Amino acid sequence: MERAGYFTGLNEEDVKYEIREFQGHGKTLQVEVPVVTTEQLLQIAEGVKTASDHILKSFSVSELVRIIDEVIARLLDRDNLYRQKAEELLPIITGFDEEMVRLGLTSQLKTFRKPQLQRFLVEDFGNPLLLDDFQPRAKGGHSKAIGPGLMTHIWAGNVPALPLWSIVSSLLVKGGSIGKVSSAEPLFAGWVAKMIAEVEPRLRGCLAVVWWPGGDEEKESALFNASDLVFAYGGNEALTAIKNHVPLTTKFLGHGHKISFGLVSKESLNAKNAAETARLAAYDVMRFDQQGCYSPQFFFVQSGGQVSPKSFSQYVAHELAVFEKRFPRRALSKEEGAELFTWRQKEQMSVFSEQGKEVIGPDSGSWAVVYEPLKDFVLPSPLNRVVRIIEIEDFHEILPLLVPFRHYLQTAGIAASPENLFHLSSLLAKTGVTRISSLGQMTAPEAGWHHDGAWSLLDLVQMVDIEDNAEVYAEKFASYRD
Amino acid sequence: MKFKDQVVLVTGASRGIGAAIAKSFAAEGAFVIVNYLQNEKAAEEVVAACQALGGDAWAIQADVTVEEDVNRLAGDVLLEVGKIDVVVNNAFKAYQFDPENRKLAWDLKWEDVQEQLDGSLRAVHHMTQAVIPAMKKQGGGSIINMVSNLIARPVVPYIDYTTAKGALQSYSRNLAAELGAFGIRMNCVAPGLVYPTDASKHTKEDVKEMIISQTPLGRIAMPIDIVGPVLFLASEWAAFVTGQTIYVDGGFVMN
Repeated sequence: MERAGYFTGLNEEDVKYEIREFQGHGKTLQVEVPVVTTEQLLQIAEGVKTASDHILKSFSVSELVRIIDEVIARLLDRDNLYRQKAEELLPIITGFDEEMVRLGLTSQLKTFRKPQLQRFLVEDFGNPLLLDDFQPRAKGGHSKAIGPGLMTHIWAGNVPALPLWSIVSSLLVKGGSIGKVSSAEPLFAGWVAKMIAEVEPRLRGCLAVVWWPGGDEEKESALFNASDLVFAYGGNEALTAIKNHVPLTTKFLGHGHKISFGLVSKESLNAKNAAETARLAAYDVMRFDQQGCYSPQFFFVQSGGQVSPKSFSQYVAHELAVFEKRFPRRALSKEEGAELFTWRQKEQMSVFSEQGKEVIGPDSGSWAVVYEPLKDFVLPSPLNRVVRIIEIEDFHEILPLLVPFRHYLQTAGIAASPENLFHLSSLLAKTGVTRISSLGQMTAPEAGWHHDGAWSLLDLVQMVDIEDNAEVYAEKFASYRD
Repeated sequence: MKFKDQVVLVTGASRGIGAAIAKSFAAEGAFVIVNYLQNEKAAEEVVAACQALGGDAWAIQADVTVEEDVNRLAGDVLLEVGKIDVVVNNAFKAYQFDPENRKLAWDLKWEDVQEQLDGSLRAVHHMTQAVIPAMKKQGGGSIINMVSNLIARPVVPYIDYTTAKGALQSYSRNLAAELGAFGIRMNCVAPGLVYPTDASKHTKEDVKEMIISQTPLGRIAMPIDIVGPVLFLASEWAAFVTGQTIYVDGGFVMN
């Protein structure tokens, strides 16, 4: 039995815990999830707010960087108790392959060490001291960035360790936080909160991790009303419901469903590099079983290279088969399995009517590659290692296909020459794509990225300006005035 | 049921590749002797798995580098079941496969080499001596020695370990020449890096990626990959194969 959540200011005995059972890799795990009442939620929120105002805001940003760096160092240590728990329990909870979880944790955690955190800060603020004190501005006057007194986080469970992004961001800007875990992965956020309190006990009241059933209007309205900022991950319907509970005076930041894809140019398809290009493409598809917003759902592959798009799809198929042995896909729920089966049947039937189309994949359905010539539309993938490879001649051909996804596009993984990279990026920027990465890195955004085109830290703060005239005016009242 | 009523002795069979081999023989109906050094619980789990798979099994503790232990092991088996058809010499001296902290040539002591020779060559020698009389009497048998693809391509020069495995390959060829007259076959299986096993669990990802990038079949071997060639060499399908080494590494080495 593992207990999820973390909070101070309430007796644990007064809180009701709900038991959730997870099964994966032949093991069963029971997790106690704290289900707080509205009063308890508000009490926790009040405590966090007070701790945030009086304690967290008294820390310098460099002290906070040091504390986060220490938490991350502990999580990167394979002998650390929390790390061992994460490696052991997250595969059971999420169903993801143990090796994939282990490697995924390390690769994500690596992006939150001191140098990366500093880069993260400089990226958004230029001068991170803006978070500590009023800093002179080039235009004249001074400014200071104030983090939220209380920030509510609503996390999703699609990718392990996802809550780390927003926990780190809120800490860097000195925002007190209360987070709601996903019932699909309720543990990781609580561990991080406990570790922060262990590394710096004075911060013990600045972050709380709880759970309540999503959509509970009374709780959400009350908490959102008390928050300066609500930050949520989720499907678009869930986000709309959350947004409806957020009052006008509270800022809302939502990260909903996204669609990502890859572009493979003919220069990356010669005898030397085609297999490597395919391996990286397959890697991006395999990682987290395509559950991430950055996971590619289709690839546009240019003809005219030494290796044809059809052959490329066969290379990708082999790589997916190989990855299935090394990092087997998680077991699907009945519904997911049925959905995938129906999709596969439909695709296979269409092979008879659509010339040139090919569907490659094992009968087990653990992965599939659909190769097809260019049509006037493209369908998103049902995910879980299913990818569509579309042959194109000219990259301009894809632009009309992306129009329906305008508000959903996120990452484009590109295999192309430097000239084509920038040319394609200019085209894609107009379609709504907000991140361009190499193949093989689609699922590992770099520290300080602009998630869905937004600022990770800057969007969390409020700037306070002292205008130049106030300073000049104050001189009139100086004691040292001659 | 390819190995029904056959007696198969697998050394170092409580975990990793050895356990996978033992279970696969059991699934083909064999009576499997699960030899182990320390981990009785793991060995008993392998025995239970073998029985569940339709074969039978018996766990026997023995340190294969100690002659008396090996004689006791072979003696017990012969006493109880009367024959040994197949021996898989899979046990090896504990070795830390750590490319970053391996001993460099000029730091290597003779004792390091000796230890590995004891772990592979000496252990196989004792075992061979112990089973030859019975196999001669039976009119044949198959002995399979686990070596390593490092003997053909020392991509990481684990000098002591690989040298000992190389010696074992040479020993196998010589014995194959000598024992062919009695219908006893001796062959080697040379896996590449196998993951996951206890020996390889600390192998870093960049090493795996380096090997994968030069492996035509595009991945690292898993314990189950090693099983097929071992079963083949043990079976009558390989009745006319002796003194050979089969590389099981996805094409990393081609001989």
